[in-house]
Amino acid sequence: MKLWHAVLLILSLMVQSVAVQATDELVVYSGRSDKFVRPVIQAFEKKTGIKVIVHNAKSALLINKLKIEQSKTSADLFLSNDAGSLQVASNMQLLAKLPKETVVKIPANYRAQDNTWVGLSARARVLVVNKNKMNQLGFVKSVLDLADPRLKGRLGITHSANGSFIAGVTVYQKTIGDDKTLAWLEGLKRNSEGKVYNKHSKVVRDVALGKKDIGLVNHYYIYRHLDKNPDAPISILIPDQGEKGMGVAWNVAGIGVIKHSQKKALAMKFIDYLVSEEGQTIFAEVNREYPTRVGVAAAKQIPVSGSYKVADVEMSALGNGRVATIGLIDKAGMP
Amino acid sequence: MQFLKTFGFRALSLPTLASVIVLFAAVPLIFVLYNSLGLGAERWNGLWSNRLPGLLANTLSLAVLVAIGCFVLGVSAAWLIVRREFKGRTFAVWLMVLPLTIPTYVFAHIYTTLLEPDGWLGFAWHSLFNNSVPIPDLYNIYGVALILSLAGFSYVFLLVRMALLSANRSLEEAARMQGASSLEVFWRVNLPLLRPAIAAGLAVVVLHVLSDFGAVSMLQFQTFTLSIYMQMTGRFDYQTAAGLSLVLVILSLTFLMVERVFRSRQRYYATGQRSRSVLKTATPLQQILIWCWLGLIVCFSFALPLIWMLVWSWEAYSADLIDARFWGYASNSLFVSAIVATLALVAALPVALYHARKHSRYSMACVHMSSVGFVLPGPVIALGILSFIIAWVSPLYGTLAALMIALVIRFLPLAVQSQEAALQQLTPSIEQAGRVLGASPLQNLFRVVLPVIKGGMVSAWVLVFIDALKELPATLLLRPVGFDTLPVRIWIEASEEMLELAAPAGLMIVIGTLPVIWFMMRGEKASQ
Repeated sequence: MKLWHAVLLILSLMVQSVAVQATDELVVYSGRSDKFVRPVIQAFEKKTGIKVIVHNAKSALLINKLKIEQSKTSADLFLSNDAGSLQVASNMQLLAKLPKETVVKIPANYRAQDNTWVGLSARARVLVVNKNKMNQLGFVKSVLDLADPRLKGRLGITHSANGSFIAGVTVYQKTIGDDKTLAWLEGLKRNSEGKVYNKHSKVVRDVALGKKDIGLVNHYYIYRHLDKNPDAPISILIPDQGEKGMGVAWNVAGIGVIKHSQKKALAMKFIDYLVSEEGQTIFAEVNREYPTRVGVAAAKQIPVSGSYKVADVEMSALGNGRVATIGLIDKAGMP
Repeated sequence: MQFLKTFGFRALSLPTLASVIVLFAAVPLIFVLYNSLGLGAERWNGLWSNRLPGLLANTLSLAVLVAIGCFVLGVSAAWLIVRREFKGRTFAVWLMVLPLTIPTYVFAHIYTTLLEPDGWLGFAWHSLFNNSVPIPDLYNIYGVALILSLAGFSYVFLLVRMALLSANRSLEEAARMQGASSLEVFWRVNLPLLRPAIAAGLAVVVLHVLSDFGAVSMLQFQTFTLSIYMQMTGRFDYQTAAGLSLVLVILSLTFLMVERVFRSRQRYYATGQRSRSVLKTATPLQQILIWCWLGLIVCFSFALPLIWMLVWSWEAYSADLIDARFWGYASNSLFVSAIVATLALVAALPVALYHARKHSRYSMACVHMSSVGFVLPGPVIALGILSFIIAWVSPLYGTLAALMIALVIRFLPLAVQSQEAALQQLTPSIEQAGRVLGASPLQNLFRVVLPVIKGGMVSAWVLVFIDALKELPATLLLRPVGFDTLPVRIWIEASEEMLELAAPAGLMIVIGTLPVIWFMMRGEKASQ
């Protein structure tokens, strides 16, 4: 019995290691949640017959790994949920330049300036509010109002190492300057009273439960919560609108080809599919994000792209401004 | 002449072997040292004044709380089970070990879910207290301490139980004859005798606390590990991460040394034959009380989480979420853990044996150095070994061997600790007798030393196996491309939200450990 098990184990391992040898397959280092990537990959595999092996971990760990691996890497592509991470990888010279005919399908502000990565889907940094508390929240028009002392103990935010949080702060920092951003962060710290969340979904949940009145999240978490709890008393509040408003901070998830990949042509096939109308539609439907390709519609529930003002900060700035932002976050002593 | 030769062989080879293994285990530490060199005086100062005081306070107070929790749970359960005869005693041993099979991140998630207003415990709380008392919140030091105590007391239980089993009863009997009560015997005879085992058990627990990532990240409690991880992932700041790691290493080495001093002051050797005495049978009332206490422990440390996992696994099964790939993850996990446990055991033996024989400063330093892997956060170890392998043995890169090396280094201290605790029971005179009777060092090892510490060896194997089965951060980074294990799947399914999808994998870890624990129990019975 034991021997039989051992043989089975060894056989299954051998099968796996043989599978790695095949030529018509791609290895994607993915810093995105598996279930958001899986549908589009399955569609691609079905269409082309190319096998895609997804290697999951946090974006930052994968970048560290790629940096140490250099030419030893078996990865062909790097997929991340955060433009900042993609730009950091690009700054570390880990990514190859993408051909022009592919990148032009995506507007210039959703890709790297040097075309080393391209954005696939975008998300908006918005506020989630508890509808029953709306009368006390009338004064909140901007994310900057989250530092108001009236929100002490009522504000839900993620911890400051969260990629989306950092990227959002970078946008505000580029718009309003260091001093104001620092004061704002200190206000956030006071209002969150040391309790921060490790997941956006938990911020939304606690706002829905009334444990918090308002939270700073990515837009799709609100709709995902509403999918499961259609009666939850929450709604979206799009901040920083109007003539003087700085607009909503956006961020994109995107992909790039690894500089040391031996299968760049094959990898490009994959990216071509992801930016095609078919691929973009899958992203929009599954993730409730904004497709980056012009002309592909987003999911019905979410606020129409273009119906509100977006902050005028280039996506590649999210990576380049990262160190400065982290300096501010450190200075404020954010948890 | 012959004597001199063998003596020379023994004196030379064991230290050399132990040193080589320790050097190997220190690879991640060297990586940390190298990286922290880039941290200038100014940034060290910044760290010292801004971050360190809070982190030290958090980490140390958590360690103390968990140590107290594990002491109370582990020692009480072990004493009741070993020293009292009652119905279901053997079964109770199982129940006390099983909590080890649940990873701390699964524990933390299950309890936060259960304590929500619509969770089982939250619901029960409301029905009991009628909304007047708010449901306790786990997002604080007491919550984290509770989770880590429930997840870790089994280490204390195992080692204390082993010591109680092999302890000489004659001292207790002498005390009884002098008219001491059970409680007096426990405090004045058992407890002092058990000190090495309790210290070793608590050392394992505290090392787990210092290195725990799962529970603290789930519950957002800022300890060193969490802070180091944040530096690396959110901030790409290697140097600060390395600096904090270095402080963590110094902290745990200090702790280990204090524990050693405490332990080495007292050395007890069992002399003569182990006497077989009849256990005191508990009265029916005592039996009920014993089971109330053990039942309470089991309920929260194993039964509740298990039922939760069963319920959600059934949901996943009904929804057809368990496919062939799932069984692949399970076999990957079992395969890696079994090999890692075996390798760690072999690697730990020279270090433990060397120290048990020599008790020199150097041998103790070897033991301490080999313990480094345990306190360094998993991602730090993984990156250190990754750099080492790529620089020195690049053909190994991307293979299973790289992952296994990392896990062996990570869990070597666990093996060293439990082997060493077992070796303390090995009276030098037994070994000397073997040598006098003409056994070669190797013969002596196989025919005298190993049989004596067999119990310790088996529990060392099991402890490493279980920890390897639960390991996440190093596996995430070092596994061959596309090679997913159960914890990796739990992480992937749970990283965005919904650990419910991960319940089958958690359950599979529990099931995978059952045969191993059964093996450990059986081995014990055979040796009795």
